Amino acid sequence: MKVTIPIGPQHPALKEPISLRMTVDGEVIKDADLRLGYNHRGLEKLAEEKTWVQNIYLTERICGICSHSHATCFVQGVEKLMEIDPPKRGLYIRILVSELERAHSHLLWLGIAGHEAGFDSFFMYTWRDREIVMDLLEIISGNRVHYAINTLGGVRRDVDEAQRAKILGSLDTLRKRTEFYLMIGANEPSFVARLARVGYLSKDDAVALCAVGPTARASGVARDVRKDDPYAVYGEVPFEVCTADSCDVLGRTVVRVKELLQSYNIIEFLMKNLPEGSIAVKAPRKAKPNEVVSRYEAPRGENIHYIKSNGTDKPERLKVRAPTLANYAATVKMLKNGFIADIPLIFAAIDPCICCAERTVEVVDARSGEERTLRFSELRRMAGERFEKVSQKRNAAWPF
Amino acid sequence: MTDSEIVEKAKAYLGGKALEVANPSLRRIFITVAPGDLAAAVTALRDHMGFLYLATISGVDDKDDFELLYHFGNEHVCLNVRTRIPKSAPRIASITPVIPGAIFYERELQDMFGIIVENIPDPRPLVLPDDWPAENFPLRKDWKFERPEEKIPGGKP
Repeated sequence: MKVTIPIGPQHPALKEPISLRMTVDGEVIKDADLRLGYNHRGLEKLAEEKTWVQNIYLTERICGICSHSHATCFVQGVEKLMEIDPPKRGLYIRILVSELERAHSHLLWLGIAGHEAGFDSFFMYTWRDREIVMDLLEIISGNRVHYAINTLGGVRRDVDEAQRAKILGSLDTLRKRTEFYLMIGANEPSFVARLARVGYLSKDDAVALCAVGPTARASGVARDVRKDDPYAVYGEVPFEVCTADSCDVLGRTVVRVKELLQSYNIIEFLMKNLPEGSIAVKAPRKAKPNEVVSRYEAPRGENIHYIKSNGTDKPERLKVRAPTLANYAATVKMLKNGFIADIPLIFAAIDPCICCAERTVEVVDARSGEERTLRFSELRRMAGERFEKVSQKRNAAWPF
Repeated sequence: MTDSEIVEKAKAYLGGKALEVANPSLRRIFITVAPGDLAAAVTALRDHMGFLYLATISGVDDKDDFELLYHFGNEHVCLNVRTRIPKSAPRIASITPVIPGAIFYERELQDMFGIIVENIPDPRPLVLPDDWPAENFPLRKDWKFERPEEKIPGGKP
């Protein structure tokens, strides 16, 4: 007998709202369906009504974890439209924040992987070390989440000598701790047994379904925008693209830990070779009619923004594709023929960011059970009817 | 492989299908094709030039037409295939037989612009809810958001 289990949009195992429909036969998932649209935000439409500068702050709020990614992707596209070149020091600081963001995002993910695998001390260790990175971000930008460091033509805040010494000094601890995590991730028997062979995605499927980021790299696809299409100063920074061939959640863990070590190397290079000079140039208010495709390697994979200008101070069109949306098709493939108990682990392994993927329309809901479908508008109407019947609630005295 | 080599190769493989090939900046190539040739062009790019990765599909509302951009990437360049379809008959063939990963972007295109993607394997709405009013396509320029009147249950009439 086949049973369909709805998971989400609100569910304790999910950190963000998304609706999954699992058709199961016993414990085995036979089919999986993803339903988006629970919390769409109308962001692409909204961007057409805001100016270039306002849109930096709007794109920064697409995501709470990779906030710098979307803002940088947007800003470097608009800089091309406006034909301005940010100074080198500005680009170095921009990429420094990018790599610190990648480090904090991957440390956060490692903790979640540990938590979903039932290894909570790993979660506590990684999140403690993540605080080191968060503190660095705070001394650079003044903020822990939305760094607001980007502006058209460069960055808004400089890095001084004391901050530089602090960043370089913190790297030793981070390196030592991350090497320890790599050792645990690859050797701790119970952790390895829980992650290995879970969420299998073959290399052919990863290519066919256009997976991105660590999800693709753990299936042996060396796809990294920083190498393929070096933006900003990545052309002159030495680093390696980390891949794994195991095609499972264990591979995705190992790829992310190795990327952490690469990020620390990049940060060290940037801090030791920070050029002198100004951090930003003045940007014009309007952009000539043109179009640009901007790509950026976010912690979760490739971000791509297509920006079209029409000669005014507002964009004609801003198309945002976040990496989570690109990985959904692969997730459905990974879930099939897995076990129900593996759902949180597999789903967490793409490092999903629902708020990134859900960025197009207004807040709406459609909730369906196994036997009948109730629409949100119907639910609202029913709730209204019920409230109208409850007489004592009407004109009730405020208790205070 | 440099940009100009890829442009030459694309011209050779696409032949008359490529109406216009532009290389406006480093590692960005734009190829314009007729809507009927889209699937054939994408197949040629995939089989002969290694453009297996579709980053996304962008739709643009451009007066009487819709402009569609299929953003591809490989290890050398970002290649964008552009095609235009009239607003009066917004139909385009699905490229999912060639690139299975295109399904989510095609569904999004159907929702946001009302473009009918022919032979799409899964035509359900993706980003719009089940009770979204028909013939409302939010990313068309003539669509404006009107906030519905707020009614507080149990509040004053």
